[in-house]
Amino acid sequence: MTELVAYLISGIALGSSFALIGSGFVVVHRVTRVVNFAQGSVAIVGGMTSATLLDGLLPHGLGEIAAVLLCGVVGLVIGLLAIGRRGTPPLISLIVTLGASMLVSAAIIWLWGQDPVAPPGLGGSVTILGAEVERQRLLVVVATGVAFAALALFFSRSYLGKGLTASASNPFAARMVGIDVRKMGLLAFGLAGILGGLAGVLIAPSNPLSFYSDLPLVLSGFAAAVFGGLTSPLRTLFGGLCLGVAGQLTAGYLNGSYQTEMALLLMLVIMIIRSRAFVQEEVK
Amino acid sequence: MDRVNLRSVNPRNVLVVVAAVAGCVAPFVMGDLTFLMRMLLAAIVVTGLSLLMGYAGQASLGQGAFVAVGAVTVAVGTTRWGLPPLLVLVAAPLVAGAFAALVGVPLLRLRGHYLAFGTLALLLMVQTAMSTFDFLGGAFGISGIPAFGVGGSVFTDQRPYVLLALGLLALVLFVTHRIVDSRFGRGIRALAGSETAAESAGVPVMRGKLVIFALSAMYAGLAGGLSAFFTPYVSPDSFPALESFTYVIMAVVGGLGTLWGGVVGAVLVSTLLQVLNLVSSQPQLPPTLGPILQYATYGGLLVLALLFMPRGVVPAVQSAVTRADSRRGRAGRT
Repeated sequence: MTELVAYLISGIALGSSFALIGSGFVVVHRVTRVVNFAQGSVAIVGGMTSATLLDGLLPHGLGEIAAVLLCGVVGLVIGLLAIGRRGTPPLISLIVTLGASMLVSAAIIWLWGQDPVAPPGLGGSVTILGAEVERQRLLVVVATGVAFAALALFFSRSYLGKGLTASASNPFAARMVGIDVRKMGLLAFGLAGILGGLAGVLIAPSNPLSFYSDLPLVLSGFAAAVFGGLTSPLRTLFGGLCLGVAGQLTAGYLNGSYQTEMALLLMLVIMIIRSRAFVQEEVK
Repeated sequence: MDRVNLRSVNPRNVLVVVAAVAGCVAPFVMGDLTFLMRMLLAAIVVTGLSLLMGYAGQASLGQGAFVAVGAVTVAVGTTRWGLPPLLVLVAAPLVAGAFAALVGVPLLRLRGHYLAFGTLALLLMVQTAMSTFDFLGGAFGISGIPAFGVGGSVFTDQRPYVLLALGLLALVLFVTHRIVDSRFGRGIRALAGSETAAESAGVPVMRGKLVIFALSAMYAGLAGGLSAFFTPYVSPDSFPALESFTYVIMAVVGGLGTLWGGVVGAVLVSTLLQVLNLVSSQPQLPPTLGPILQYATYGGLLVLALLFMPRGVVPAVQSAVTRADSRRGRAGRT
């Protein structure tokens, strides 16, 4: 029983980080129909920057916030590359962001080297229902909850968020009422950068990141976003939690090395089952 | 008189002849042929990928999966079952093609980004299968693959491999050319534009996509099989995701949906990387410069090529030649 609780809790913590990265995919795809392959690289930049800043430059809190804001800028630059040129088809934009993620990898190796880096996080652990959980992992869960709530409020309550939603649901009509759809797209990339950075800052203390973590982060985030059809933040959160728990249960009861494969398999199954719905979305 | 004769020669044919001559001479003048061999193998894979991406409009970020299947076919066939090399080399593309046809049935229901990520997931799962099952090599891979040979004659150095790869590349280009120019090929191009429109015009969309997917996998499997003989070692680490991304870069740089785009992209990108490799391996430079330059080149090439030459090198050169031709034509008339 204790074992199961431990797996569930660590699965929820892991799944929260998947969901945070996935939310970046959703924010960009909703508005621009582009899948941002550089989402994982941005998270790594976040983790690494916070490690550097917290190393005597800034106190806890400020260092993390500065790192997250920097990631927002990186996300914006990636957006400029991906959709800055008018009329770039979404699939070509995906490949541009693949190129951007490689450029970011080059920068990461240049600035921080090839070894994994872990910034200091919350130390120690607490006991929940008999299972020991690192406090940093709990922080990930709480921060993810707050981020998703803020995201929901932003999209439904704020003027800017409504502009983003309008550009997403009908770009033509949005332009008619005076919304600059391209600017909204760039804004979405910046917001995705912030979400990716937040994910990186939160994950890195318990899972050290290197430029090599890029692909696992991208795939797990995309897998979570697939649950939400790349458009729904809430279902992305649910997807991330499912993936995290399924992965931890696989690792716990079967074999640790199949954790990623479990996530990939789930992603493939969901994508194929929902493929008809995706096609209808594209036609719309 | 001279000018008229010159103009009557199609510049494209001249380029093809130049490329063929260069390809046949290079194996005899270059010292280490590993670079040339890798370039030719990449050209075979990328020709298939360019067909898939350019004509059928389907992106694959995991083409390495099929290269791996071809290589494993050769490794298992020769070392485990002791089959003759020629037989396994023929089997490599067939097994890869059959595998693609099998996984393609569910996978090709996906389109666009979903297919791109689906193929990437496939590559990672193939890698896991290779490292999990000892029969496929396990974590250590399969070494001791015998040299390629037919009957009594066995390949003892690199040169015959390069010539064989050249011949197979020519075969692949010929097959691609015939398919693109056929009725089936026109149907494929139609479905890349709009699947719904192609379907209502009577093009069997799913079957068409599946055939092209399997064909591009066959090219990849062929290259993988040949590389297994050349290296002669196959492990899960031989097919990193970055390699599959490189194929995409080569296809995009060369020009999607052109016959020669794959070859041109493979030659340009491989040469550039080789030059950078030589520069960064100078002893006085830091060791991280190599990977930095590699990633920066990959990323920079992709971004710049897509933003400034979105159709690729081959179409850009073609249209430049056509423009120059028409200008000369006008000048001649006046």
